[in-house]
Amino acid sequence: MRAVARPVELRLLLPLVILVPLGFAVTHIAQTGLPEPGPMAIAIGYVGLVLAAHLALRLLGNRGDQLLLPAAATVGGIGIVMLNRLPQDLLGTDVFGVQMGMATTQLLWFGVGLGAMVLVADRFRDDGILRHYKYTWALAGTALLIVTFLFGREVNGARLWIFVGPVGFQPGEAIKIVLVIFIAGYLAEKRTLLAGASVRLGRLRFPPLPYLLPMVVIFVIVMLIVVVSRDLGTALLFLGIFLTMLFVATGRRSYVLLGLVLFVAGSLVAYNLFGHVRVRVDNWIDPFADPSGTGYQTVQALYAFGRGGLFGEGLGQGLPMIGGHLPIPALPTDFIFAAVAEELGLIGAVALLGVVTVLVFRGLRTAILARDDFSAMLAVGLTVSLGLQTIIIAAGNVKLVPLTGITFPFLSYGGSSLLASFVVVGLLLAISHRSAIDAQAEGRAA
Amino acid sequence: MIATNVRRLSVYLLLAFAAVAGALGWWQVLDAQALATRQDNPQVIATRRSLPRGSIFDAQGQLLASSTIVEGVSRRAYTDPAFTHVIGYASLRYGATSIERAWDDLLVGRTDPNPLRDLLNDILARQPSPHDLTLTIDRRLQDFAASQLAGNVGAIVAIDPRSGAILAMTSSPTYDATGFSGDPSTAAATFDAVAAAKDKPFLDRVRQGHYTPGSIMKVLTAAAALDSGAITPETTFPDQPAQESDGFVVSGFTIREHDLGKVKPALWNLSPALQVSSNIFFAHVGLEVGADRYLDYARRFGFCKGLRIGTDARGLAVDPSFVSAQSNGGCAPFSDDVELASAAFGQARVSVTPLQMALLAAAIANDGTVPHPFVVRDLRAHAANPAAGPSGTVLERYGGDHGDGAISTQAAAEVRAAMIDAVSGPLGRLYAGAGAVSRFGVSGVLTAGKTGTAERGPGLKPHSWFIGFAPAQPGAAPTIAIAVIIEGGGTGSGHAAPIGGAVMAEWLKLLAAAA
Repeated sequence: MRAVARPVELRLLLPLVILVPLGFAVTHIAQTGLPEPGPMAIAIGYVGLVLAAHLALRLLGNRGDQLLLPAAATVGGIGIVMLNRLPQDLLGTDVFGVQMGMATTQLLWFGVGLGAMVLVADRFRDDGILRHYKYTWALAGTALLIVTFLFGREVNGARLWIFVGPVGFQPGEAIKIVLVIFIAGYLAEKRTLLAGASVRLGRLRFPPLPYLLPMVVIFVIVMLIVVVSRDLGTALLFLGIFLTMLFVATGRRSYVLLGLVLFVAGSLVAYNLFGHVRVRVDNWIDPFADPSGTGYQTVQALYAFGRGGLFGEGLGQGLPMIGGHLPIPALPTDFIFAAVAEELGLIGAVALLGVVTVLVFRGLRTAILARDDFSAMLAVGLTVSLGLQTIIIAAGNVKLVPLTGITFPFLSYGGSSLLASFVVVGLLLAISHRSAIDAQAEGRAA
Repeated sequence: MIATNVRRLSVYLLLAFAAVAGALGWWQVLDAQALATRQDNPQVIATRRSLPRGSIFDAQGQLLASSTIVEGVSRRAYTDPAFTHVIGYASLRYGATSIERAWDDLLVGRTDPNPLRDLLNDILARQPSPHDLTLTIDRRLQDFAASQLAGNVGAIVAIDPRSGAILAMTSSPTYDATGFSGDPSTAAATFDAVAAAKDKPFLDRVRQGHYTPGSIMKVLTAAAALDSGAITPETTFPDQPAQESDGFVVSGFTIREHDLGKVKPALWNLSPALQVSSNIFFAHVGLEVGADRYLDYARRFGFCKGLRIGTDARGLAVDPSFVSAQSNGGCAPFSDDVELASAAFGQARVSVTPLQMALLAAAIANDGTVPHPFVVRDLRAHAANPAAGPSGTVLERYGGDHGDGAISTQAAAEVRAAMIDAVSGPLGRLYAGAGAVSRFGVSGVLTAGKTGTAERGPGLKPHSWFIGFAPAQPGAAPTIAIAVIIEGGGTGSGHAAPIGGAVMAEWLKLLAAAA
């Protein structure tokens, strides 16, 4: 465990050291009109945490991908600037009598997340514990899901929260990672079988069901619980992750098509059976049909996009309050992308998507460079979990798909999401570290 | 193997990100303007609340609408209820309508007519500065038209046939929108009172009234028939005189003539048939034109689609008029010959707006070209003291473009001649003669016109219609075309025609005084 230099990472983090505090100052000036930077504690805290994480990776000798942390930190930095400019009492926590505003809470979780990332990047260099106990992971995940479903607290019509004392978290985020580990382990083991064999029924070829069965059973159980919990976004995300990993493992588009056909059929059933699904879909088709009722948030988000235009209203200058309230009620969580697009414009929003794309491509590169199938499948699953989640929520914001209540990774307010996203980065760092070490060893051997 | 699939996956993910970026571009740039003018947009509401709003003047610079800021809140005042439907209202509570809505961003100055300055304003986040509007309508004519309508339910719209400029446009009953665009404490009560009043004052009958036209539709039928060559002005139908009393059997259904009074049926060609308004004659003409050609000509005159006073981008929407059943917002094919023959004299499923019928008259007056109507003449710099009149700085001019050719000059001249006879011919003067401007103190000028008495079914008094234009004598360029409807007003000659004649005469007098 020799300390290493991570020069690219450091160079990419340095602009954030200036830009995030600058963002705080600009919003403060725009909002108060006073020629002073305003309180900087949170911005400095953010910069400190990011640099500390960088330092820790160096000291622990991590040779993993150097673009992952800067990309995540950039998205997170934009998020914390946005959250800091909103009314702080909107969300936030009360931890043992200490009132914390939204940005403070987010910063705290940022610290926890970065800590977890460093820890995971270091501890999971050897992936045996992940690979060998995949059924245990799957069981633990499912158990957690059931516990949430039975004993969780209901927020906004969906029972997704578990509270331990004052601190609540959403197990769905953790289950996402556990599910990826399980599927990666399973597919890595059975990959050759799955890719080769198929069941013929007349002219149609079907996947070899017996080989897939254990995985499909567990996946279906998870999906059922998620769907019953009314967590549509997570259901969509899980399905997307599952189908993508299946595609990567087997190279069969037909699996994905079959999955999509089942999904569309299931969606039609859900549309006809469940009122809350119908409301979401109807809103998506025409939010202006009920602009002050069920379509309110979607419509207000579209207005926010429109106000932003090409260049944006400027940090701190958009998001007009309506009757003392934010224009979009769920702005810090589901619609933070719309807020960024309003204040930073099309240019800023596309740049933000670009940063996420960089993160995704580095994750996929990690998968390509991985030394074994399990690591590769794990990297793919983790990367896709971040990428698809971003696409689903951003596409929901811009009305490409029905809106579902999931977070924008690193950007949205929310501890569980932030923590899980950083754990994903940690795992990717661990995988890419191992590839780098192996490549080096081979180089020496040669 | 996995690596190959991951590379393929990366392409799919990139496409998905690109799709999101594309949708962003749509909302943020391409559709941004449409979003910015929606009435429930909080920014529209906020802007309206606190920013000064430009004034609106009539063609002579008379003040019609202006705003003041009282305790940080913008209040709008309107000077003349005759203009309410044209101008609309800009209310903090009830949104904006008509011109106040279509020109909202320019009135408050959120948009600058100069695209370069508009971009600069955006980048520099400059405070918007308001602009003023001038209408094509002369308040004197508008007030005169409104006084003619007073006490009736109906509408008058007058157009300059050459330019398409709206000269008068008023709907009755009207209301005063100041009550709910000004003092917020009285807004709800005033608005609710108007909403509850009888005969729907909020309805702009010029643009949103849907009426059976009756005999004024014969002008369209004649235009289609003459232009297509289906008839000449001399064409007669040998069976017509007998059918005037016995009825005209079309596909087993008997079409009957309306009460001709003292007029004796005879073998008529276009001029006498239009003078006495023979349904039988025009049923024949409609069948001669044929279903497809009839629909084609109707469309040329603007039927079967929504119209705009102004442009598609910025204008007042006018409901579509139909000659047959409505189908997907357009005209369905005629179901049979009975429907076509009845439509040809303005019954069956024909449904028209007064604006459409004024355009029809204007097109005949304008040598067969349908003018593009517009009601806002120009955009000006904001006058600090609106009571003293508009600023001289014109930023943008509207209207005045070429219309759409519908029929040949020759056919238009033939329809015009028949419409002059309908007003001053030996038989016509009994009917549309009531609309002659000569009866209202304007001498030496011929009037072209046609009355309509639109049957609405048993027990209901018919709608009274008149369309026409003047001066109509050969060689003269008509300066006003008009459509008048009085709901349940009885015969066209009894009610709408004299109002139409009086309004046209008033305009000719105003023009003569200005010259």
